[in-house]
Amino acid sequence: MSGCMKTGIAVMLALAAGIAFPVLLLEIERQWEIAALGAGAVAVLVAFRLTGATARIEAAARAQPRRAFALSLAVPAVAAGLLYDAHFALLMLATVALYVTVCLGLTLQFGHAGVVNFAGAAFFGIGCYATAVLGAHTPLPPLLIIPAAGVAAALLGSILILPMLRTRGHYAALITIAFGILFKTFLEVNDTLGGPQGLKVAPMTLFGWSFNDPIVLGAGVEASFYLAYAALSILLAAFSFVLVRRMERSWLGLSLDAVRLDETAAAVFGIAVARWKIFVFTLGNFLAGMAGSVYAMMTGFIAPNNFTFGDSLILVSIVILGGLGNAFGVLPAALLLLVLPEKLQVIQEYRFLLYALLVIGILLFRPQGLLPRPLRTYFVPGKSA
Amino acid sequence: MTAPVLSARALTVKFGGLTALDALELSLEAGELLGLIGPNGSGKTTFFNCVTGLVRPAAGRVAVGDVDITGAAPGAVCAAGVARTFQRSRLCLPLTVFDNLMIGNHRQLDLGLWTNLVRRDRLRRQHDEGVEAARQLLAAFSPSLAARLFEAAASLTMIDRRRVEVCRALIGRPRILLLDEPSAGMTHDETREFMDDLLAVRERMPELAVILIEHEMGLIERVTQRCVVLSYGEKIAEGGFREVAAHARVRQAYLGED
Amino acid sequence: MDPGLAGQFILNGLMLGVIYAMVAVGFTLFFGVLDVIKFSHGDVVMAGAFAALASYAGLRHAGVESSIALLAGACLAALAVTAVLGAAIARFLVLPLRRSPPLNTLLITLMLGLALREAVRLFYPNGSNPKPFPQLLPTDAYAMGNFSLRADSLILLATGILAIVAVHLLITRTRLGLAIRAVAQDPETARVMGVNFERVVMLTFALGSALAALAGVTNGLYYNEINFGMGLLLGVIGFSAAVVGGLGNVYGAILGGFLFALLQTAGAVWFSVPAYKDVFAFAAVILIMAWKPTGLIAEKSVERV
Repeated sequence: MSGCMKTGIAVMLALAAGIAFPVLLLEIERQWEIAALGAGAVAVLVAFRLTGATARIEAAARAQPRRAFALSLAVPAVAAGLLYDAHFALLMLATVALYVTVCLGLTLQFGHAGVVNFAGAAFFGIGCYATAVLGAHTPLPPLLIIPAAGVAAALLGSILILPMLRTRGHYAALITIAFGILFKTFLEVNDTLGGPQGLKVAPMTLFGWSFNDPIVLGAGVEASFYLAYAALSILLAAFSFVLVRRMERSWLGLSLDAVRLDETAAAVFGIAVARWKIFVFTLGNFLAGMAGSVYAMMTGFIAPNNFTFGDSLILVSIVILGGLGNAFGVLPAALLLLVLPEKLQVIQEYRFLLYALLVIGILLFRPQGLLPRPLRTYFVPGKSA
Repeated sequence: MTAPVLSARALTVKFGGLTALDALELSLEAGELLGLIGPNGSGKTTFFNCVTGLVRPAAGRVAVGDVDITGAAPGAVCAAGVARTFQRSRLCLPLTVFDNLMIGNHRQLDLGLWTNLVRRDRLRRQHDEGVEAARQLLAAFSPSLAARLFEAAASLTMIDRRRVEVCRALIGRPRILLLDEPSAGMTHDETREFMDDLLAVRERMPELAVILIEHEMGLIERVTQRCVVLSYGEKIAEGGFREVAAHARVRQAYLGED
Repeated sequence: MDPGLAGQFILNGLMLGVIYAMVAVGFTLFFGVLDVIKFSHGDVVMAGAFAALASYAGLRHAGVESSIALLAGACLAALAVTAVLGAAIARFLVLPLRRSPPLNTLLITLMLGLALREAVRLFYPNGSNPKPFPQLLPTDAYAMGNFSLRADSLILLATGILAIVAVHLLITRTRLGLAIRAVAQDPETARVMGVNFERVVMLTFALGSALAALAGVTNGLYYNEINFGMGLLLGVIGFSAAVVGGLGNVYGAILGGFLFALLQTAGAVWFSVPAYKDVFAFAAVILIMAWKPTGLIAEKSVERV
């Protein structure tokens, strides 16, 4: 069998596994099935590595990045299609995609530029509340509300820019922690924004078609209305992913790394440290706000309890668990931290405890995370120069 | 006579009550290699920090050619043509050698969003030019180092890290290079190798002016044309190495002789 | 404002201030000795309060009736539990991460705080509900108009101030304190001079955590209720107080503690809605950080280039 064919088979098998895993994970209910699926997933990963399939796929993806990207986008899309009538599974899929979007923003801030942000859930929440308010009080079409919510998060975040630029390390961490708690407390005591009860949010509509209407596929076959939201969320996550990866593999990412690793040396070589920090802080919060916007439209209802300090910690945990600074690591980490507790009721009650212990273990024994960030390559190696 | 490429006039730096640099007069001609020596805490690194904009002077002026850079931000000093290395290596160790060099080349990089995110073909052209320039510069120091362009800086030996640091300072084509104790942490043989590198650089860049802070007097004697000696922030001697080494105040500062 | 009411506000503010200062002094001790933030500190306060409650219940069960004996037992249990907890945190979480980025320590202790919180919620009997904390101090009251001064408040206030003074004296006047200061100044030199670095760090963590236990017990005795989540806000407030005062400085921590209490009290008075007090206090913290980036009593540190 030729090497080319072997690679082809390996890629096909990987795609099949990549589609089957989330579909099965989201669909099955019995605890032993979930345990078996987990064991199966590990077995498949090991088998791929041992037979050299993993290496083949990685090499192929490096050689043809565009095709690799199209195929990896197809995986969640096909998975969503197969789950077309499963409300809960699609809701989870969309939620994972939106968390991935926020975490990609945090990856830019925290992982690349070293700008700490312990208020991720607050910026997500600003996007949610902006969507609720804009949807109720302005004629803005929902498609424009999403970026507008992102802008709202970025703008409110800009309040923190001055204190953030003047402080470092622990002092800077305190600022975002204080902001996160302030934001949630403010929502709880503020009656115009619904207080602790929260607000209703108008659904997403596109050219007169409401996402909340069921999608009729044919005689008697209806797709869940979450299908449209899942598609939108996956698109948003894919956009963020491309953005973050392109940033990382360019002079922009280089500048951010220099700012994180050594501000003084960066400044001496003419890197505008403050400008880059403002840039990533704004961009990351913009992504969080957009994700929040779609989330609010999808769930139709938001309350301050969705945006606690604990939620911000989960976001940071995902980024650390995946491998700080590695955009690829965010996806498995988000799946692990968000879906597993929903499916394994045994651990549902204990999930915060388990997250905490998991992150402690990671920090002690594998601080680089599940998928450590690789060295930067700007372009596919070997094609030129 | 042409204006000096770097001049400090009555430059004074204070930390609280302590005068770290006391009315220093110093000038540097194009193509000159000046040694800056003195006991620990005599204000040598403070002078570099003050020139490169990390520390603001309390009084006095600094100029690069005709451009006044007194109290300017580090970025503006860099733009005026000053580059430096640090006493404790400040390479970005998790990044590749190439990335580190491109940090030194930062002023020449196109940082536009359009080029970096959308028109990746343009970025690729700049990238390839950067790789070529970096490879040539490194090869002048050590061909084996040039072959490791895409490896992490953390994987290099001490002397190679120093070389990368010097290359990072040189790749932006500065007019003035400030070297802060490059032999620190190197063995005797490595120091000698490094000295040869330094002389080779001067042959290829005859216009480059260098100030070298160094405790290794052998290195100073061999490569510098002129030395300035500091003690407690004051200039106590200036001249050729043998001349200043014989100077009574210098012997006193170093050896505590009366 | 009615003077009686004003007096009540001042007394409440002082009470809060002393609790916050006790927590903040812990933060500042840990930072002083190791340059790290132990964010689980608020949850150690909570653990102390729960340890006191559990030993109170145990002693009652064993037939102890005297409230002095009960109080002493509860306090001792709380001090012992948190001191061991603090030393264990230093030994197993903080010291192993000494060479990693400082934010990793912040994160690992944040996560430990979450773990402690959840462990109490899940494993303490009926831990997810607020627990009544017993009234163990005399409650004789002296009333004047709207103002009422209770004996227990005075005792708590005095105990808190005494505890802080005692810790301060311990650091400035004893051999252990000398060792702590030596390690804070320069760990390498201290080690060369024969100071057992790890032991000093663990002792410092035990000391700061024991102070946290006192804060927890004080909190319980004052409000007569504790819950598993009380540590989160107390921790953030203690951290804010320490940072606002200037990390590594005991006076700064005390100043920060009382300042935060003042901000909260002022917020509650100024806004007709008292719930805005936390919003106001945290907004003020952000503003103070923008104005004085390393706290009101600045930390002495010059970066070497």
